[in-house]
Amino acid sequence: MTGPTDPIFELRNIAKRFGATQALEDVSIALHAGEVHALLGENGAGKSTLIKIMTGIHRPDRGQIRLAGRDIVIGSAAEAQRHGIAAIYQEPLLFPDLNVAENIFISHQDRGLLTGWGQMFRRADSILAALGVELDVRSPARGLTLAAQQSVEIAKAISLNVRVLIMDEPTASLSAHEVAQLFKLVRDLRDRGVAILFVSHRLEEVFEIADKVTVFRDGRLISTRPRAEATPQRAIADMVGREMGLLQPRPGAKRGERILAVRGLGRGGVFQGVEFDIHRGEVLGFAGLVGAGRTDVGLALFGIEPATEGSIAVDGEEVSLRSPRQAMARGIAYLSEDRRQLGLSLPMSIAANITLPVLARYLNRLGLIRAEMERATAETYRKRLAIRASSVEVLVAKLSGGNQQKVMLSKWLNTHPRLLILDEPTRGIDVGAKAEVHAMIRELAEEGIAILLISSDLPEVLAMSDRVLVMREGRQVAILDRDSADQETVMTAAMGQEAAAHAPAEAPA
Amino acid sequence: MRLLARLRGWEGLLLVLLVAIVAMNVTRSPYYLGVENIVNLFQLEIEKIIVALTMTLLIINGEIDLSVASIMGLAACVMAWLFRHGAPMPWALLGGLAAGGAAGAFNGFWVAYVGLPSLAVTLAGLIGYRGVARILVEDRSYGGYPAWFDAIGQQPQLGPVTVSIAVFAVLFAIVAVILHDSGFGRIVYVMGNNLQAARYSGVRIKPAKLSLFVASGLNAALAGLLYAARLGSVRGDLAQGFELDIITIVLLGGVSIFGGSGNLVGVGLSILVILNLRNGMGLADITGNTQTSVIGALLILSVLIPNIAQTVRSNWKGRET
Repeated sequence: MTGPTDPIFELRNIAKRFGATQALEDVSIALHAGEVHALLGENGAGKSTLIKIMTGIHRPDRGQIRLAGRDIVIGSAAEAQRHGIAAIYQEPLLFPDLNVAENIFISHQDRGLLTGWGQMFRRADSILAALGVELDVRSPARGLTLAAQQSVEIAKAISLNVRVLIMDEPTASLSAHEVAQLFKLVRDLRDRGVAILFVSHRLEEVFEIADKVTVFRDGRLISTRPRAEATPQRAIADMVGREMGLLQPRPGAKRGERILAVRGLGRGGVFQGVEFDIHRGEVLGFAGLVGAGRTDVGLALFGIEPATEGSIAVDGEEVSLRSPRQAMARGIAYLSEDRRQLGLSLPMSIAANITLPVLARYLNRLGLIRAEMERATAETYRKRLAIRASSVEVLVAKLSGGNQQKVMLSKWLNTHPRLLILDEPTRGIDVGAKAEVHAMIRELAEEGIAILLISSDLPEVLAMSDRVLVMREGRQVAILDRDSADQETVMTAAMGQEAAAHAPAEAPA
Repeated sequence: MRLLARLRGWEGLLLVLLVAIVAMNVTRSPYYLGVENIVNLFQLEIEKIIVALTMTLLIINGEIDLSVASIMGLAACVMAWLFRHGAPMPWALLGGLAAGGAAGAFNGFWVAYVGLPSLAVTLAGLIGYRGVARILVEDRSYGGYPAWFDAIGQQPQLGPVTVSIAVFAVLFAIVAVILHDSGFGRIVYVMGNNLQAARYSGVRIKPAKLSLFVASGLNAALAGLLYAARLGSVRGDLAQGFELDIITIVLLGGVSIFGGSGNLVGVGLSILVILNLRNGMGLADITGNTQTSVIGALLILSVLIPNIAQTVRSNWKGRET
């Protein structure tokens, strides 16, 4: 029996490990009926893993899951549904060619051979009516607005007699008006006794809707506070309280001459209004949440996804960067965040990967590769960056993540860049390799290379950068000097908290 | 060293298979390894194995050209049409080659610059180029070419060796150097195993893809003209259906249909296996249909074995962690 104060859905001491990464460590969280429980945390804090465990996509390595006071095992997404646990995501997962009613009852297809269309339409209508949503249940899902699609997702959850609803950044693609509509539905569900886990990066929304706020950091639960005790400032402090650890702050660089001047840079609908200068020997950090548009700025500067507005000047001369070759000709190099998909040719040797962008330098008059010269270059980098491999003929696929990262760094250093864009250069590599990459960044800056460091690792950005540019939702929101940049200021800017801090605590009616 | 390393995997299996087949054939016929028989062996499928060379480049690059047999027919028919309308033979031959190059460029344009899948583009080419070829010669057969042209295809010109075999040998060497030692070959591989990484490294993808399709078209045209010389006459259905045999040769050689891997040593061995297998089955009075089934079974094995090996290996890894 569950009393009114007992949680309906409870996870106790959950742990989950993926390879070398401890995604969740001893996490306990309790959801109560009729309560909106918000979950906050930086990228990689473990929120997604928790959701996947709750919805049966992953099994925890340790810990208990309890529903209405009984231990349960959630072996699959279908089992989660049978337990009344449903999730909706930022991008609704509707079938565009099926009609609204079919989408609502898509998980019921195993309950009988024939479809009772009349009954299905009536029930879909009544669910939507109860939600106060006006939609034609006979029209196909294609063409519905995102907000309408979210409503269909919620109706789908209700049709499954949902007791626990997980909402993973449901507002990320919605307009303010649509968010208000969604929140009305959320409150409605809450009042009917559904337990809701609400994950969002938008603090103002969290504090508008949540009854409880839990913060995750590095796979651990840091705090759970009732709404009355939680404040945005406290939440941010909990999110960023990571130790600086062994990260030595880089000594500030003397600014050399300006290499790059970016003014009003934007690409339709993706980012806009980005403005900064970067000088010889300077490290400019790019901070922000995933999806804030930092990588898109990098891609625009490298000519992969050219900017559609604003200007880029190299050495005072305005340039058009419409292909990687044009960018490389201007001394710009871009180390991609995704080394497996975009960065390296895994079945090829270290040497072949390192020389690829400037292969023309290694060809004789007949267009044949000068193997000796190629090997010599690769050897130089193998020694300089301490790439651990028996020879430069070893296939890149056989190297560890850290060593692959060093190969990628070698590849771009070998283009002799003046501006090196590093996109998440230490993601997914071990501590030792990380320290080596940091040492390399210091060395390169001292040599006079300008470095644009895009990283979601806040201590890393702060320790390495001379200045930190913060982006949020496609816009540049701040450029901070190293003296004024600390974890809380940067995270506050990245989450758009200045605005929310001034907003009234209660949601506007 | 490098050659030995290559022989270990799929190439090693092919080599064993080849030795076994040749040994069996030798016991059946004492003349099997005679020069004459070897020349005949190559001569029977020579046009297909010539086209297989450029097909290897394309498949390693992650593309495919289904229109090669139609281009062979197109080149021969353009040549026949020009010759019949009074063009001197050398000009008629050049016209055939040009038609092949143009067809290849057309394929390449849609794939490289518009971004359509080569499977669809060259399937359209397979139908379209064959259609043009048939329109040019209608339902007739055109022969009566100069004696020197027929001789190229029908008699050994270089000692015991035919012109076609010499062409194949030279092209094999050229493609081997391009693929394994040149900057262009490096790019062909990189694009095949990670097109995005190539793009992010500033590789000029579009011209590279276009030139591969043009090379494929030109080479198919050359093979088509050699085939016309061997037959002594041209019909609209010349080389029809050859594309599947050509692709089979390449895949059996260990070239991944997904692109990015494979080498010319494997394709060379695959050519020898198929030629000797067909010849051997012929000696044993096995019918053509059965021969085709055996080669089909080999092809399935060539796709299955690496996949099974992969699965076994990853299962093994899964258990370790």
